[in-house]
Amino acid sequence: MPDDVDAYEAKRRWHEEQARLPIKEKVRILLELQRQDYELLKRHRTLEWWELPWDIEP
Amino acid sequence: MASLRQVFEALDQMREDGVIGDFALGGGMAALFYAETTRTYDLDVFAYLPSQRGALLDLHPIYEWAEAHGFAPHAEHLLIHGVPVQLLAANGGLAAEAVAEARTLDYEGHGVRVVAPEFLITLYLIAGGGRRVERVEALIAAGAVNIRRLRALMGKYALASMWQTRWEADDHA
Repeated sequence: MPDDVDAYEAKRRWHEEQARLPIKEKVRILLELQRQDYELLKRHRTLEWWELPWDIEP
Repeated sequence: MASLRQVFEALDQMREDGVIGDFALGGGMAALFYAETTRTYDLDVFAYLPSQRGALLDLHPIYEWAEAHGFAPHAEHLLIHGVPVQLLAANGGLAAEAVAEARTLDYEGHGVRVVAPEFLITLYLIAGGGRRVERVEALIAAGAVNIRRLRALMGKYALASMWQTRWEADDHA
């Protein structure tokens, strides 16, 4: 059980760190998530026009 | 390639040109300012729309402005520098209060009005959907929420019972 507790604690700390990132870095992550989603989703269905990754810089 | 700051500047220009009034970012982009990144695909902007007359909303001034500036309207969105922007009328009620109480936050040296976390949660709960629930969790986990203020909003907008059942039972508060 201590290993489980450590793992949950490490995960909680990771989420806290993500929340504290500078806003520009969060936007960079968002753009990366959009690109990853696009590559996955387009194999399975036709995407709505607004589901395309934003073609901008953070 | 344009930057997100330029999208915010375009919104400021819309306000300066009188097409929209005071506005604030909502939706997933607003949550980014307070919590960890969650997915979003468009930019929700709550704005006072001068062209609204009672229940009728005349979108022509907005579309004309967008086309004059090279931003294509697409269904209920404007494509501003490639980012789908949805303007949501904030001429009264919760949305107007959310704009009035928004915070001015910095994005790359540019002041951006962003809906406060407590109002974001209230708006998310009214809109519903799994992605919005994820954002509520992220805002709470980030410690961004004034629970007392949130409870007051939940009471004001008849969401208290939903909030207590879903979140306070889990010991978030």
